[in-house]
Order: sequence, then structure tokens, then C-alpha cells
Amino acid sequence: MADVMNVGVNLEAFSQAINAIQALRSSVTRVFDSLKDGMKNKETLEGREKAFITEFQDNLQAVNRDLNELERLSTLVGRPSESHPLHNSGLLSLDPVQDKTPLYSQLLQAYKWSNKLQYHAGLASSLLNQQSLKRSANQMGASAKRRPKVQPSTLALPPQYVDDVISRVGRMFPDVSIELFRPNGTSAVLLVTLGKVLKATVVMRSLFIDRTIVRGYSENVYTEDGKLDIWSKSNYQVFQKVTDHATTALLHYQLPQMPDVVVRSFMTWLRSYVKLFQTPCQRCGKFLQEGLPPTWRDFRTLEAFHDTCRQ
Amino acid sequence: MGVTCVCQVPILEGKSVQQTVDMLHKKLEQLGAVKQGSFFVDCETYHATSNASGKKRQPSKLLYVMHNSETPLSCLALFEGGPYLTADVNFDVLMVKLKSHFQNAKGHKVESRGTRYRYCDFLVKVGTVTMSSSARGISVEVEYCACVVPGDCWNLMKEFMQSFLGSNVPELPSVFAAKPEGLYAPVDCMDTMVQYLELFSKVRKQQVIPGASVR
Repeated sequence: MADVMNVGVNLEAFSQAINAIQALRSSVTRVFDSLKDGMKNKETLEGREKAFITEFQDNLQAVNRDLNELERLSTLVGRPSESHPLHNSGLLSLDPVQDKTPLYSQLLQAYKWSNKLQYHAGLASSLLNQQSLKRSANQMGASAKRRPKVQPSTLALPPQYVDDVISRVGRMFPDVSIELFRPNGTSAVLLVTLGKVLKATVVMRSLFIDRTIVRGYSENVYTEDGKLDIWSKSNYQVFQKVTDHATTALLHYQLPQMPDVVVRSFMTWLRSYVKLFQTPCQRCGKFLQEGLPPTWRDFRTLEAFHDTCRQ
Repeated sequence: MGVTCVCQVPILEGKSVQQTVDMLHKKLEQLGAVKQGSFFVDCETYHATSNASGKKRQPSKLLYVMHNSETPLSCLALFEGGPYLTADVNFDVLMVKLKSHFQNAKGHKVESRGTRYRYCDFLVKVGTVTMSSSARGISVEVEYCACVVPGDCWNLMKEFMQSFLGSNVPELPSVFAAKPEGLYAPVDCMDTMVQYLELFSKVRKQQVIPGASVR
């Protein structure tokens, strides 16, 4: 509600400020008009100069007054919602028809839930790490009391940090080229080109990989209006299969406390596809099975297998 | 546009061209390939007349003008051993205008027509090569659409071709190895046409198979 009140005050200040700007502009115009007209015709030269100077001074004073007024008003207006925690989505709260489109409250709710989920997942993973060999939960009570205060949200990392991690990953692999785009706000979309084999579009949310699509090297990765195409799948069956496996890999490489390690391991895994058409299956020794090359790469050893040979 | 390999398949002993083609179709269908329309590639030969070769007495090269149903709006002109040119289909009209410089060698028109098959990311075209309405041989074109670098996927293609051509699997087409970057340069449609041209000139020199005329 406080937001709505603020907006009311702001609106009034806004209209006053606009009026002040108009006044300022007209007084400035007056200054230049009088300068342009020059000295008026009077009997004596002295009289002419004096009249001109007084008029000029008056005009300048008027400009000064209007400017001060505008400055005073501008402090009232304030900066609109730039420091809002949800960035531009905070503007949704300005929608006057709250009842019909409860988008903003739903968004907040979702955000809260996803933060909570992240937090609990982090706790669970740290607990599991401590007791990887013990099946009983005897020590749970002790550690549950002093729950470690984990950073609640790794979802709100600064974009520079994300850029940094990505560029470091890019430098690790010379045959991988990574282009970073931010088409909608702060979330990054990566276009990973692997040798002359494939192009992967990786949609990130902060440092978490949200979605990935793998396409052939010769395929178009942009939509008709020149934006990155993050939805349509590849025309080739090989790359549709690789996309499926890449999605599996996203689920496999999960480490909520160290998202940069996840990105690095995923890229290492993806990079093993540089020899997609060159390596035979490690089990059956053949290149093709049902018309497809070995599309599966083991998560640890990165060995190539056919989808049906990997068990 | 993927990596393409064009080769000639010998006619089985005691069989006609059509029977051998039918055998290939059957093998492909058993493999699981699906019929997907038809295709043609044709090639006309032009001699350079004395007007065109200029003042210097150069040995006149032959000019080949080819069409491919895969690129219906283009027309490809190839000199023996290069240079090669891709043009609009209007190029045919231009050749008529250039009659005084390049003369069409009538009766030298060679074409390959047949059925197109798709199997996963492979495209297979089995065609009957005909010259002045007599069947001269069989061409098989295999394209692996998902890959653009011949050096990457040649072994894979060879394995696929083995599955329906048996022992007739061709060697790596020389057009790929001839590029300055070698096998790791991306392919283009001209590579396919150069391979067809090589096949056609081989067929042209061949003796006419007795009794093998197109139905």
C-alpha cells in the first residue's frame, strides 16, 4: 500500500515539475529573444545600454528563479523504482487493477518460494555431504540446532560476477567460443560454439543454467527478427538427441552452493562433443546405431556411447 | 547442406540397370529409410569456339552447365578443373546469347534421375545416369546433413554406406582433400556438383551397355 501512496505524491510532484520545466524553457527563450532584438531605440546611447542591461538582468534572474524551483521539485519526485529488488518487474506493482491481474503478488510469492527452496536445498546438500557414509540420522539433531546461515539467495548475483565466471570458463577451452547476450534484463543467454560441430544456446538465470538447446553448426540460431532463438529445436535428429542428453546433464550437475563449478563442469562435459562424429561407441565399437552416432557422453569419464549402449 | 559423397555403383552381373536400382531401393527400405520425393541432376557440355579463346592459342577448356533439383533456382557453371560459378537459373538464357562463344555439344547431355530417401539425418539419392536416352549407369549420393566438415564424419558415412552398398564403398572424394584447408574446411554445394561432374565424365567415356535403354 505504501507504494501506492508514494505514487500519488509523486504524480503531483511530477505535474508541478513539468510545469516548472515549461516555465524554465520560456524564460530561457525570453533571454535569447531579448539578446536577438538588441538595444531598443532611445534618445541617448547611455540610456539605450542601461535599458538593455536591466532587461537582460531581469531575464537572467527569471531563469535562475525557475531553475531553483525545478531543482526543489526534482528532490520531491525522487528516482522511480530503480533500486527495486526485483528490477523492472517491480513496475508491475504500479498496475492499478490489482484484483484483475494479481501478477505482482504472485511474482513475489514465487520468488519467495524459489528462495526458500534454494535455501532448503542448500541445507540438505550440506547435511548430506557431511554424512555421506552414514545412513542413520543420529547427529541430525545436533547440527539442526545451529543451522549454518547460508547465503539465502544465489539467484541475485551481480551481472559482472556472472560475466567474469563465463569469461573464465571461455578461456579454459580454446576450441569453445562463448558469446554472452542479455536480451531481457539481467538474465544471460550464452551462445556456445563448439569447433565446427555444434552450437548450443544456454539460458541462464543468474549462474544457474535454466535450459539448453543444441543445434548443428550450419543451423540458424537466430529468429527472423534477429534475436537469439531459445525455443525451437534442431532439424537434425542427432542434435535433438544431444539436446535431451544436455538437459539430463543439467539435472546431474547440481551443487547449489557453488554454481560456478556447475557451469564449469557442464561446459567440460559439453566440450566432449567436439568429436561427436569422430568417436565410435566405446561399447559396440561402431559409429552408427539406428542412424545416429554415439550421442551419450558419460558424466565422469566423458566416454562416448550410443544411447542404447550406455547401461 | 551437409557432407556429400557421390559414387557410381556397378551394375550387378546378369541384371539390368533398373533391376540393380530396385535392389538398392529394397536394401534402403529394409534399413528403415523413407522415400521422400525424387531428384535430378543434369549436365550440358559447351565447347569454346575460337572467338572465346582469345588471341593466345590456349587449349580450349570445356564448360559444363549443371542443374540440381536440390537448388532449383540456381544454375552452376563449371570449367574443367575450375573456376566454378553459381548463378541464377537465368544463366541458361545467357548461354543462348553467348552462342557465338560457347557452342552446345548436342547429344552430350547427361543426367541422373531417381528417388530420394531419408534415413535419420542421412539423405540418399539413387539415380539412373542416362545419356542420349540410354541408361549408362547408377549414381548414389549420400549426404550427412548434420555435419559440415568432411574430416569429422567420413568414417561414420563410410559405415553407413557399407550397410547398403556392401563392398562398393567409395574412397574419400578427392574434391575434399584438394582444398587448401584440407578435410576440415566446411563443405558447399559446389563440392557435390564437382563429384557429379567427375562421375558423368567417367560415364561418358564408358561403352554403351547393349540393350540397356530407358523404359
